[in-house]
This record gives sequence, structure tokens and C-alpha cells, in this order.
Amino acid sequence: MSYQSRSGRMGQLVSIGTLNMPMISMTLILGLIGVMVLYSVAGGDFSPWAWRHATRLALGLILMYVIANLDLRTIFNFAYPIYAGIFILLIAVEIFGDTGMGAQRWLDLGFVTLQPSEFMRFALIMALARYYHTLHRDDVSRPTGLLAPIALIGLPALLVFAQPDLGTALMLAISGLGVVFLAGVSMRFFIAGIALAIAAVPVVWNYLFEYQKERVLVFLDPERDPLGAGYHIIQSKIGIGSGGFFGKGLAQGTQSQLKFLPERHTDFVFAIYAEELGFVGSLLLIFLFAVLIFLMFNIASQMRHRFSQLTISGFAFALSIYVIVNLAMVMGLAPVVGVPLPFISYGGTSLLAFMVGLGIILAMERQPMADLPK
Amino acid sequence: MSIYDTEGQDFSRRLVLLGGLQGGLFLVLAGRLQFLQVARSDVYATLAEANRVNISQISAVRGRITDRFGELLAGNDRNLQIRMVPERVANMDATLNDLTRLLKLSRSELHDIRSKIRRQPSFKPIVILEDLSWDEFARLNLNLPYLSGVEPLVGQKRIYPHAQSVAHLVGFVGTKTREDLQRVDDIVGDYVGRSGIERDFERDLRGTPGVRHVEVNAIGRTVRELQSEPGEKGRDLALSIDLDLQNFAAQRLNGHSGSAMVMDIHNGEMVAMVSSPSFDLNKLSRGIEVEEWERLIDHERKPLVNKAIRGLYAPGSTFKMLVALAALEEKLIDPEEKISCSGVYKFAREEFHCWAADGHGPVNMVDALERSCDTYFYDLALRVGIDRIEAMAQRFGFGKLTGINLDGEKSGTVPGRDWKRANYDTGWRTGETIITAIGQGYLLATPLQLAVMTAALANGGKLVKPRITKAGDAVEPVAELGLKPENMAVVQRGMYRSVNRPDGTAYASSLLIDGARMSGKTGTVQVRRISKDERLNGVIPNSKLDWHLRDHSLFVGYVPHNNPRFAVSVVIEHGGGGAQVAAPIARDIMVQLMNNKAITKAPKLVMQDKPGMNS
Repeated sequence: MSYQSRSGRMGQLVSIGTLNMPMISMTLILGLIGVMVLYSVAGGDFSPWAWRHATRLALGLILMYVIANLDLRTIFNFAYPIYAGIFILLIAVEIFGDTGMGAQRWLDLGFVTLQPSEFMRFALIMALARYYHTLHRDDVSRPTGLLAPIALIGLPALLVFAQPDLGTALMLAISGLGVVFLAGVSMRFFIAGIALAIAAVPVVWNYLFEYQKERVLVFLDPERDPLGAGYHIIQSKIGIGSGGFFGKGLAQGTQSQLKFLPERHTDFVFAIYAEELGFVGSLLLIFLFAVLIFLMFNIASQMRHRFSQLTISGFAFALSIYVIVNLAMVMGLAPVVGVPLPFISYGGTSLLAFMVGLGIILAMERQPMADLPK
Repeated sequence: MSIYDTEGQDFSRRLVLLGGLQGGLFLVLAGRLQFLQVARSDVYATLAEANRVNISQISAVRGRITDRFGELLAGNDRNLQIRMVPERVANMDATLNDLTRLLKLSRSELHDIRSKIRRQPSFKPIVILEDLSWDEFARLNLNLPYLSGVEPLVGQKRIYPHAQSVAHLVGFVGTKTREDLQRVDDIVGDYVGRSGIERDFERDLRGTPGVRHVEVNAIGRTVRELQSEPGEKGRDLALSIDLDLQNFAAQRLNGHSGSAMVMDIHNGEMVAMVSSPSFDLNKLSRGIEVEEWERLIDHERKPLVNKAIRGLYAPGSTFKMLVALAALEEKLIDPEEKISCSGVYKFAREEFHCWAADGHGPVNMVDALERSCDTYFYDLALRVGIDRIEAMAQRFGFGKLTGINLDGEKSGTVPGRDWKRANYDTGWRTGETIITAIGQGYLLATPLQLAVMTAALANGGKLVKPRITKAGDAVEPVAELGLKPENMAVVQRGMYRSVNRPDGTAYASSLLIDGARMSGKTGTVQVRRISKDERLNGVIPNSKLDWHLRDHSLFVGYVPHNNPRFAVSVVIEHGGGGAQVAAPIARDIMVQLMNNKAITKAPKLVMQDKPGMNS
């Protein structure tokens, strides 16, 4: 398969068959599992969630295909402007945003409400990838070379943290740091950074909001508030555990159908899935996520441009930490931080953002030899 | 390109490192999944089930209480109620306004409803009104579409068709409070017996509550019913009493304070047992105002106390039969021996008066019983001594519980040397033996003990255990007292003549049905001291004394005299002479009893009314 045949000619759309079908298939399967679970959560009904999730999935696939057609140079050139644009949107949220669930996260554009922080993750990864693409290898581990990445990561993370949305802010920062790590920054900085982070815990603790402190405390001991903040964790564990080996069957989960689980169509959707499909179904889902992430890493390792390598592996890393943090949270291994499960949780922005990311990966994989400025 | 290559190698190494870390974390997640869904699945399944299923109970229908012929004494009736689930009420103020208008609720009723609503979680149904009339209930049902969260409910309530006459026996129920809950299947708000049979036989009457498993959602609303086990109705209970006789006796005691009872002398069944004054069971079951309750508690004539088993009285002359038996059994006197009565008996510089101030002249034992001569028994007392009197009283059941299956009976007092030493720390004085022989002094017994004593005198010396429930086939063994028949006969002759001879103290209360007559003995108990001056100037008649200073009036007896079957015991507090008050009541009750073919199979009787005599 030559480069020419996969890039297609100017002004002509690429053939779908030339795109990475395994990755598209995995995405579709996960999205459809999401549709299925949301159908079940509604008590065996496509409304209110499953139908809209399916629509968004279809929209996302189209978006993926459109983005896959983009010229890699265009993507490269727009990496910084997109970052800047979303950064401005984040500031706009801070000023005009709707307050939902006690935090300013949404921007009402009239026809759709957007959560700019979801897109920021990908914009940040691309901006960092572009930065390291042009940075000389010798400067990677120099303190001066670290200033720009710290600013690129720190500014949006602080803005999101101020919304206040600790979970998304942390995910954003960790996603960014993943790219920095992959770019080959000396291990010394990471070790020092981790040491600094641990030392900063007491300081950060003082700046946390009461509800955030409570979440951490309740995570450490859910029984502390079994009807309040601990209720999520306790009921979620009961849901997962009572599913047993084979589960209770679709739409048969008592924890879900009788509404013992809160936020069961968003952040805690996995608890329903695990209750109804059991250990077998849950392992399968984790396996599917692992396969998708492996596929992405595999594509990244085949790339020759540093920009593509870092973007794809950064996306893969971001996806994996979303999955890991969400599952750990739902299973009572991490505090409740408000992180959705990619492709499964109901929520337009999250789904579309991940699919835009996958579209970019498809575009990069299609153009391994594109002529990028060094 | 060398730079590019090392860069590529470096990237691959970091990629593997990061991938490995992620893989490790995925394994941790899989491990956690295994722990939750495989290792501890049972625990969580149980927790989920406990979340889901709400077990509620269905009250069992309480057993009915009837008389011996199945006449209803305590039953259940429809109770039209209004239930409310506050969280389903769209606008509480508007709804309460509508209810007030529809049912014409008073300000205090409305206040009660509001406080009930406040005390409960809003998803729990609560009964806000009960005992509605059919009219009110219908009006509510018509307007139901406008009253969200309000539902009509047909429940149960306890009813007592004869709320007064059987009040002390049947007792009343109350709503179970949290403190009453002893068993797992006890239901808050259910009825529980608070007194009498309702309390004593709670176990039989309450039945087994049913269980309803309902699936509930996270906020406790019922989603669907899973399974139901209907409860088991409580056992019906037939009392030994005859309602007609009971009602008659209650009516006859109306205006008096005291008790009357009729007992089957062979199997111990109480055919009637009345305590007066009484109270209204229906009122007490529904809950009465504090002031009304306090009025009942503080009432001079103690309407709440079952005097038949809890009233303690000196038995007076009704005790003389036992003194006579004590003497006869020990052969301390020949029943034909005459003792002369002058009206006053002198012993150790003390004077003991016979009730007949002019005396009875020479009397033998049967004469003494017939005319209730005190002097004869004063003299007999000194021959018998307190020890034998004490022993005989105890043999007849004095001083201990009769064992009737009703809670709360009292045991009374049989005085003696040891008793005196233990209670007063002094020795027994012979003068005390003298007054004990006429049933006064320290001696105390319940009217039921007197009935049991009379039954034993009538049935030839068998101490029967009284019972308030129907005896059925299994008759309980009775204690044979082992008294000589010829001695019993002497006492029975005295009791016969007391009622049926013109000189007898209760002659005015004699009766005759086909040759069947009543035997008995009057008793008059002084509750005040009569001074020497008063004796000289004439004893003040009871009618001129304050109520609480008047004599207690007693009568015990049995019918028919020749083939005894029923014993009667009547005690009227401060009623006056035994012959004037208690004996006529006993006679009327016995006449009523003998008229009841279902009980006696006896033909209609002819009653004889004779001019009165003093006791």
C-alpha cells in the first residue's frame, strides 16, 4: 500500500476502505455498547438517552471521516490556533458560562451547549506535539525548553480548576504531562515533579472546595456519609457486585431500574453495565478498551513524524486515563471526580471530542510521509 | 538522520513504558472486578436485594371474644379511614383546606393532622382520619380526583357491643406504640390488649400477621407487589359467662359499688362476673382525653378496678361456716350443744357484741348459722383457737390466689400467730381470735375467694379453680379438702335455714323453683368503730351515715339447695346490712339464672318474697 494510493487526490474524498478499519470498528462497537446500556438504563427505552447517543455516534462517525480527509499540514498549521481558540472559549465559559452541577462548564451557543474543557484536552495534546516537533532534541530536557509546555498545560488546567472542575483539570494536566513524558523529557523532572506534587498535597488541600474535600474523605471512607456523598460509591459497588459472574440481564439490574444509582446514565454508567452483564461482560468491555488503546499506540509507533507520534500516543494516553479513572471511581478505587466513561457515558461533548481525536489519528495514519516543516 | 533514529528509539521506549503502566492499571481494574463480581458477589447480591425488597406486614384480624353461647362481646368493625402520602400531595395547604371543607374538620383535628404529617417521612402513608361516617366517606370518594396523595381506606377497629357490663372482663385495646413491640412480626399501629381478656389472651387473639413483599425504588415508593402471605386470623375466644345473666347482674348492681358473680361449683366456670361501677370499653379503646382518664382513676368508687378479683374485704359472717367446720373436724363441739347468747360476750374485761343487741338466747350450731349469732362463734373461737381457724381458712383458698385465668387478682390475708409476728412484731391476742371468728379484724378476702369457698361448701369439699373461659371437655382436677360429709351437712343445713327459715337472716331473699331453693349466708362488715356511747344511745343506722362509713354488705350462696350447681357471691361496698342489699341482689341474679333453661334446664321458678329480717 503506497503513500499515493492512500492519500487520494486533491479535492477528492478518500475512500473509507483506505482508513484504519480495526480502529473504526472498535470505536463503533464501543459506541454501540453505549447505546445498548443507555437503552437499558431507561428501562428498555430508546428515549431519552439511547436514541440521542446513537445519533451523536452517527454524527461523530461522519465528523471522523471528514477530519480523516484533512491534510496533515493543515492540522499541523492549525494546532496552535485551535489551542488559542479553545483557550479563549474557556475564558468565555468563565465569564458567560451556564452553571450546571455547581460548576461553570457549559457554553450555550444557542443550538448546542459545549464543554470547551473536553476539546481542550485534544487541542493541548496537539499543541504540545507541535511544540516538540519543532523543538531541537537537545533542548527537550533543558529548563528553558520546559517553560512553554508548563505554560501550555498550566494555564488551561488552572482555568478549568477555577470553574471549578477538579476532575477535568487533573485529567487535562495528566494528558499534557503524558505528551511531555513521551517527548522524552528527562526522568529527573518527573521524579522531582512527583516529589513536589506530594509535598504540595497539604497546600492544595486548603484550596479545595468543601465538596471536593468531602469527596476525597468519603472516598477514603464511604460509610462516613452513606446517604450523602458516600451513597454513590456504596450503591455503585452494590450494583457491580450484585451482578455476579453473568449479570442480571439487560434492563434487569435492580440497582439501576429502581434508581438506587445516581448519575447512572453519565459517570456511573459502568455500574449498570456491570450489574446487568456481569463479570464476563465487564471484562469484555475492559478488553475492548485495551484493544483500542493498543491499536492507537501501535499506529503511533509506526509514525515517522514527531507531531503524529506524540499526538496519537497522547490521544491514546488520554483515552486510557479516562477509562482507568472512571472505572476506578465507579469501583470505589478512586474518589468521585466526575469523569465520564468514553463512548459509553451519555454526553455529547465527550463523545464528539473523542471522535474528533480519532478522526485526527485517521488523518495522520493516512499521511505518514507528509511534508511537515521541521 | 542519527538524531531522528535515537529520537525514535527513545519514543518507542517511553511508549512501551507508558503502555506497560496502563496495562498494569487495567489489570488492577480487572482484579477489582473479580473481587466485586466473583469473590464478594454474594454479599453485594444480598445488599441489592435488601435495597430492592421492602417487607411490610398485613395486620391479622383480631380474634373475637364471645360469651358462652357465642354472643359477641368484642369484635371487629369496618373503620373508614383517610390515608395520605404527603409527598404525593401537590399542594398541602389547598388539600387540607379541601378536606376541612368536605369533612367539616375542627381546628384541633386539623392541628393533629398537621403534626402527624410532620412526624413522618413524606413518602410513608399515614392515616390522617378514621372512624368516618359513610356519608363523609362517600363525599371524600366523590372528590378524590381533586385530592392528589389522598386515598380512602377501609380498615378495622375493635368494637364492644356490650361496652359496660363486660368491661372489666373483656378489657380494652389500644394502638400499639413502639414500646409495645416485642416480636419481630409486631406491627406499629396495630391493636394490642391493654386490660382484661384482651391483654391476658393477647397471644391467642392477635393471630399471625401476613407478610407482603413489595419491590420499592430508591425513594421507597412501591413499584410492584412480589408476593403475599395472608395472615392468620386470631383465635376466637368463648368466655364462660352468659351475657344475659351478666347484663342482668350489671343492671342489678347499677348505682352500687361492688361486685357480683356466679360460678359453676363443679367446673369453676364463671357464669357471670360483674364489677360496678363500670366504664365504656369503646371509649377507652379509641383513646380518651386525659381529664376523663384522670376522672376515672380518681373516682371514689374506682370504676376501672375489677372488684371481683381485686377488691379486698373482711368476709364478715360469711366466714362463720369455716369456723364451724374447724370446730367440727376436730370434734371440739357437738353441733347440738347450745350456747347462750345475751347480746354481749365478755372476755378478759372486754365486751364483744352480738349484732342482735338483745341476744339470741340458747342456740346450737345450725341455729347460730341460721340467725348469724355472733356470741356462739365468739365462744366457739376460744375453743378452736386461731391456729385451726387459720388452717381451715387456708384450706378453703383464703390468703392465696384462686388461679383464675384473669390477671391481677389479689390474694388477701389470713391472719395467724406467725403472720402477726411478721407484720406487727407482736404476739397474737386471744381477743383477735374472737373477732376473726366472725370474719372481721385482719381477715381479708376477694369476692372471688368467697365464691370459691361457697362452691367448696356446696360441692362437698372440693376446691375448684375458677375460670373465665369455657371449660370444654378437659375438666381440671380439683383439690379434695377431705372434710367429713356429716360436718359439711351441718354447715349446709345452717346455710339452708339462713335463707329459708323465717328466723334466717336472708329469709326475705328466699326463692323456690319446683322444690329447688337457695342456701346462703349473709355478711355485714363494719368499717368504723362503734363507741360505747353510741351503743348506749342506739347504733346509728347505715342510712344516716356518710357513704364511706356505711357497712359492707355481703352474701354468698348456692342453688339448688338439694343438688347444688351454682355458687353466688355478692359484695356491695358500704351497702349496709348483708340481708338488705347483697342478699336480694344475689336472689335476683339466681332467679334470672334459674330462668335460663339453656344453663340450668330448670323449669320456670316461683319466687317467694318474704318480709325482711336483719342480719
